[in-house]
Amino acid sequence: METSFVAIAYFVYLPVVIALTWYVARTLFKNGKIFMVDIFHGRVEIATCTNKLFELGFYLLNVGFALLIMEISRGISDQQELMEVLSKKLGGYSIYLGLMLFFNMMLFFRGKKASKKREQDQLKMEWMKTQIPPPIK
Amino acid sequence: MNLIGYIIFLAVAYLITVHVGLVFFRKGRVYILFLMKGDVDYSDAINRLLLICYYLVNLGYAAVMVSFWNEITTLAELVSSITTMLGRLVITLAILHYCNMFAIYLLSVRHKKTLKQ
Repeated sequence: METSFVAIAYFVYLPVVIALTWYVARTLFKNGKIFMVDIFHGRVEIATCTNKLFELGFYLLNVGFALLIMEISRGISDQQELMEVLSKKLGGYSIYLGLMLFFNMMLFFRGKKASKKREQDQLKMEWMKTQIPPPIK
Repeated sequence: MNLIGYIIFLAVAYLITVHVGLVFFRKGRVYILFLMKGDVDYSDAINRLLLICYYLVNLGYAAVMVSFWNEITTLAELVSSITTMLGRLVITLAILHYCNMFAIYLLSVRHKKTLKQ
């Protein structure tokens, strides 16, 4: 009966993990689009493409990690152990996902800050050009 | 049991690879157009070649993985070995993808520098 508990654990783990990743990625990148448009100074096409590519990367990385850590090496003998193993795996993965979410958000905020700074620098340069008196002949 | 594992693994790997490749193909066109200064014929050709290269690398990697497979005897082993292998494949894909994005970023930085000069 030992393997059947492990199989049950796998069949619970897989859909939960995939649904969790899908939900987090959808929420993150639905709201990330507005940052991307800001970062690319309103060039919508390239912003949507970058957003989509980042979303795909997020999926690949996290689903891949989830599949890699799925294997349960020790045998499971009863329901209690099943619950414990499963909650450890799911909890660990969820914490990892949270860290990735924060990392991506940090990237968004940093990109926004950098693009704002660039814009301000440009404005300042233009202002400076108007301020500099013409060279004396 | 091993044969079932191979069939499921190859089918899922093929689906993931082709889907991801098509998304890259469609979305990556904008970048190549941007870097090639709007030369449509040239950038489409490059894009198609890149897609073919990508398929070759990934499907080849998936096919090679089949030869390093352990003996499968139970259902749990079947599921776990398929997912571990798929996980490895997908993580490799993700790393390649991030490297590519970084390369595009570097190229665009250089592109901007040459534009300024």
